[in-house]
Amino acid sequence: MNPELERNIWLELTPRRVLMMVGLLGLTFFAASLAEGLERGPAGAASILFYVLVVIWGSRNAALSVVGEIRDRTWDMQRLSSLSASTMMWGKLFGSTIYNWLGGAICLAVVLSDLVAHQGPGSAAIELVFYVGIGVVAQSASLLASLIAIGRRQAHSRLDQFIYQAIGLLAALAVYHFWSQADPVGAAARQPDAIAKIVWWGVALDAPAFLLTSIALFAGWTLLGCYREMRLELKMRNGPIVWLAFLLFMGIYVAGFDELLVPALKQWDVVALRLLRAGSTFVLLTYVMVLLEPKDRVHYRWMSGQIAAGYVVNALRGVQAWMMSYAGTLVAGVALSLWLLHDIAAAASGLPLVLSELGFVTRDVALFVLMQTLPGRRRGDVGALAALFALYVLLPAIVDGLGAKASLFLFYPQLQAPGWFGVLASWLEGAIVAGAAVTRLALSENER
Amino acid sequence: MIEVENLVYEYPTARALKGVSLRVPDQTITALVGPNGAGKTTLLRCLAALEYPYSGKVLIDGLDTTQSPREIHARMGYLPDFYGLYDDLTVRRCLIYAARSHGIAPDVAPRAVDKAAGRVGLLDRLDSKSGELSRGLRQRLGIGQAIVHEPRVLLLDEPAAGLDPQARRDLSSLLLTLRDGGMTLVVSSHILAELEDYCSEMVIIENGMIAGGKAIKVRDDDRPRYMIELATARADLREFLEGRGADVIEADQIHALVAFTRNPGARAKLVRDLVGAGFDLASFGESNKALEDAYFAQVGRRA
Repeated sequence: MNPELERNIWLELTPRRVLMMVGLLGLTFFAASLAEGLERGPAGAASILFYVLVVIWGSRNAALSVVGEIRDRTWDMQRLSSLSASTMMWGKLFGSTIYNWLGGAICLAVVLSDLVAHQGPGSAAIELVFYVGIGVVAQSASLLASLIAIGRRQAHSRLDQFIYQAIGLLAALAVYHFWSQADPVGAAARQPDAIAKIVWWGVALDAPAFLLTSIALFAGWTLLGCYREMRLELKMRNGPIVWLAFLLFMGIYVAGFDELLVPALKQWDVVALRLLRAGSTFVLLTYVMVLLEPKDRVHYRWMSGQIAAGYVVNALRGVQAWMMSYAGTLVAGVALSLWLLHDIAAAASGLPLVLSELGFVTRDVALFVLMQTLPGRRRGDVGALAALFALYVLLPAIVDGLGAKASLFLFYPQLQAPGWFGVLASWLEGAIVAGAAVTRLALSENER
Repeated sequence: MIEVENLVYEYPTARALKGVSLRVPDQTITALVGPNGAGKTTLLRCLAALEYPYSGKVLIDGLDTTQSPREIHARMGYLPDFYGLYDDLTVRRCLIYAARSHGIAPDVAPRAVDKAAGRVGLLDRLDSKSGELSRGLRQRLGIGQAIVHEPRVLLLDEPAAGLDPQARRDLSSLLLTLRDGGMTLVVSSHILAELEDYCSEMVIIENGMIAGGKAIKVRDDDRPRYMIELATARADLREFLEGRGADVIEADQIHALVAFTRNPGARAKLVRDLVGAGFDLASFGESNKALEDAYFAQVGRRA
């Protein structure tokens, strides 16, 4: 047996705790069967209890699985074990939540037996995939959030732990929201406007099957993310391939939704709009990752040193996800620009928009790095977010209030004129902030 | 066994190690000493492949810490200065977990546990919960967990902190037993007198560098350390001693700490030469605080 799982079983599944869980759930279901007006009787109660035990409580335990080891000073001993990253990851994820899954399994048995009796085994199988999927997504998202924070050497206060749990709950909420639009067994089954088909890359697909597959795929990516973060904790290096594959997956996945292809610019064709959707996804991932990942100036100096010494492959092993996402954004932006050149009308309005967006993304990413090089860098990300708030909200509001709406191109991309001035301004700002960040990084080398 | 070449480690705000080079021979116990904040723990963590060096190289048993960290972890035991135990598990289960997580098969693990528990004197406590153990017994369990898989290298950060004199003596004998059993140990500590009982070499870390640039032999049976004291100051004391084959570790105009042959005839001749040359010799004797003498000789100041 996985030693980490075994250790968790020793701690979590003591006879007393198991008896308590079984007894309490049994009593609850018995009470639910006697209660009047409770939807679906024990099955309804079991469904709610599954969310409480596996999603809410389970995501908390998953968030604490590594953070708790750090707090209790046992993490170094575990890192020095010879367990593989996958063994450690599975042991942590399902070991820390094994008690929750015990309760969840009992609840699922009640829910599924009710479904089999009333709607047949097919419906029960669909719901089983959904319930397991939402539990895995919630718990693995919490674990992933905690592992990313550990990489940032972040404090492990109760607030931090709550944030990791909240991220898992948000992921679960997203899964629940999308699934409830098409759930053929649950809420959506009773709604006349339930989604039956989803058009993806021009093909009409069965909505429940598509959503269940999507949930499984995203659960898989989240687990893969946990595995890779665990590798980093165990001092193994990750190459760029997996993140690039994830970028590609996300680009293809998001660009495929025909319903999202509402033309912001009437002259743009479907290909341009799909490229825009994929590029926007890369932009979003760039911002998310540059916020989440550690922006360690020692690491950046190490990378530049490796490149200067000609060890490019070594340096590539240290490339972070935000860098690849930014590169993906540039590639998508250039591809979109080239495509727009086929149509003069589309290019006239679209090119300045796309190119200025690239410039502003460059500025914003450089801002995050720059803030980490300034004194008080522990609050660097907060400082960067504050600066972005000023650039995107406060200053434009002031400029607008002063009646200088035409100057808004200085802050973010504009759909209308002044077009190429916006491109110039955005790249100038990007170059200045990036130059300042690189200069600060170089200066910090001399401060040693 | 351990080779460190020009190791540089940086925290975002400071450079903790500034080009440390070091070689720790097989089956030795090396003391890592130095003031607080000197970089001892950082060096130990780099040796344990828990931190990547900024530059330079750390080789453990021929393996590079940046290339093969997990292989190094498998053959490494490490007890940090502050560590935790699973308080709700029994000593036996703590040790079984440590053994299993180091790749020891389930059927072999109980034997490994008994051996480790016997070495650290916890055989009679195997069924006690670790949370119920005293400070000294917890320290033993920590060491037990670090050695249950018979590592080639054992790193201990302040292992004697908080131990009573008897427990320290037990620790000394345990470390010597482990060394004799084939392990290579690096022990960080503030307590020089305690290190003297079991260390063969000493590395002084000061301000992220090795003071004196290399490890110092703590005891050399062929060339022990002698303390020479004069009644009247002489400026040429160092030069005189060096001219007669003594390795001067530290000297001023009144005192000299030298490494010199144990041969009684040679020592008698050195004393005769000193007296004959007009040195007002007050005392000449083997130093019984070799580690402390060597430490302050390198660091260059007295406490």
